[in-house]
Amino acid sequence: MRRSTKRKTVKIISYVLLSFIAVVVAFPFIWLVLTSFKTYEEIYSYPIIYLPKSWTLEHYQKISSLDFHRYFLNSVIVGTGTMFLSLLIGIFPAYAFSRYSFRGKAPLLVSVLIFQMFPMIVFLVPMFKFLDKVGLLDTHLGLILAYIPFTTPITIVFLRSFFLSVPKSLEEAALIDGCTRTKAFFRIIFPVTLPGIAAVGVYAFLFAWSELLYSMSLLISKRLQTIPTFLSVFVGQYQTRWGPLFAGSVFATLPPLVVFILLQRYFISGLVSGAVKE
Amino acid sequence: MREEKVALRMIMPYVLIIMGLVGFMLLSNIVMSFLDDRGKFTFQNYVSVFKDSVFYKSVLNTCVWVVGSVAGQITLGLVVALLLTQIRRGQVFFRSVILILPWATLDIVAGVMWRWMYNDMYGVLNDILVKIGLSKNYIPWLATPRMAMFAVIIANIWKGFCLSGMFFLAGIQTIPQELYEAAEIDGANAFGRFWNITVPQLRPVLTTTLMFTIIWTINYFPLIYIMTGGGPNYGTETVVTYIYRLSFRFLEYNKAAALSNVLFLVVFTIAYLFTRKMAREVAA
Repeated sequence: MRRSTKRKTVKIISYVLLSFIAVVVAFPFIWLVLTSFKTYEEIYSYPIIYLPKSWTLEHYQKISSLDFHRYFLNSVIVGTGTMFLSLLIGIFPAYAFSRYSFRGKAPLLVSVLIFQMFPMIVFLVPMFKFLDKVGLLDTHLGLILAYIPFTTPITIVFLRSFFLSVPKSLEEAALIDGCTRTKAFFRIIFPVTLPGIAAVGVYAFLFAWSELLYSMSLLISKRLQTIPTFLSVFVGQYQTRWGPLFAGSVFATLPPLVVFILLQRYFISGLVSGAVKE
Repeated sequence: MREEKVALRMIMPYVLIIMGLVGFMLLSNIVMSFLDDRGKFTFQNYVSVFKDSVFYKSVLNTCVWVVGSVAGQITLGLVVALLLTQIRRGQVFFRSVILILPWATLDIVAGVMWRWMYNDMYGVLNDILVKIGLSKNYIPWLATPRMAMFAVIIANIWKGFCLSGMFFLAGIQTIPQELYEAAEIDGANAFGRFWNITVPQLRPVLTTTLMFTIIWTINYFPLIYIMTGGGPNYGTETVVTYIYRLSFRFLEYNKAAALSNVLFLVVFTIAYLFTRKMAREVAA
């Protein structure tokens, strides 16, 4: 009896604290959304107005009139390309790391683990020169290529852990039944680990989606630029146009937010079987 | 033997494309860092880095930035993860709001959002602090070097604690429940259970998380770039933002390359020290 009341108290305290933290954490974003619906008089009012009196859509209209959809499309292109290329390059090494033993396996795996921690800024100038030399500077393909060294290693780490979680006996049974290795992979491993593969793919997509440093440095033409670069243009040293900036921010954040919320189970289970267990 | 051939063929794309690219970038930086403006061999770039007072300032700033952010992120992440495991109903909701929302927010969005909240005149933060009586005057958050550093660290804790929170949440789920039940029967109180079961069981996760957050914080660029641009008076200039300023404002590519190599060596050493242990377990 005493134990169960104690449990209850712990639970209630947890709910109270979590609610408090949730309010504090969500507040900045709620404030951003509220501000995006205010007129400029209300944004620059003193004292501060908390709720917009007349909800306005002027900033959202302004954003659409600035071809926001084009930047959105560019971001989708770069994100999708990054996702497919890092999955394509990552999936087979990840499988090999999980199933075979071979010479140089340990140092190669260390290189994967270390590569995901390299500072992006360090490679920016060499990447710029490299892309310039091969004629891919200021193209989507060039930017995707620049992202690959940063997204593929983490793809390999995660995929390897997903593959490890599939019992080897499943494949061996298929091999005995006369399947080839490739067939066994696509018929058995692939379907089982598909949610994990999707989660990793989404991770790569969203990496590209929110990346600012490379996208603003490697894409020069306005018509090719992605959302983060577009938003950064509104930030001035002396004056910032908060209204359209925040309207665009809401549009930019919604897709990753929805996807992350829907896929959170896979991300956490990926962490459990991947980084955490080691 | 046949298996080894298959495996090596599967590894090939990674070796050729990723290792090739990375190797090329590293080499290119090394070459650049030893060239002067006319393309002749020189040590001058490294000398000028180590003679530069901004360099030492940026190293110091990076240390403050890393220690403050990592301490905050790890603590908050651990607290949230522990609280989340206490509850069942509403876990997905709280997880979405507390852990997913800051994670999904784009770097640039987080930057401008906090910058607006920190606005001394129209910022909501000053208004709230004055209203609840925590501060008498409006604070010029981003105007003085010290406050600016404090402000960007707070923003970074908001943006980044969700990752350590998720690592810890995942880690706690792997702790066998029987351990707690046994301890409870033995009469251990809540703190004793936390200290004697949760902490030791979480140690491997703690190490991994610490490594990732330290390195990510060293490397993290957009938040400072958007909020302060490294200012005021180099007050929030970290090594990373300084490299950017050298390359794209001052166009001193060779000096930037030298500084990049210094930074790279530091990050590489930290990463190597941490992963050596991880890799040994992986290889076993």
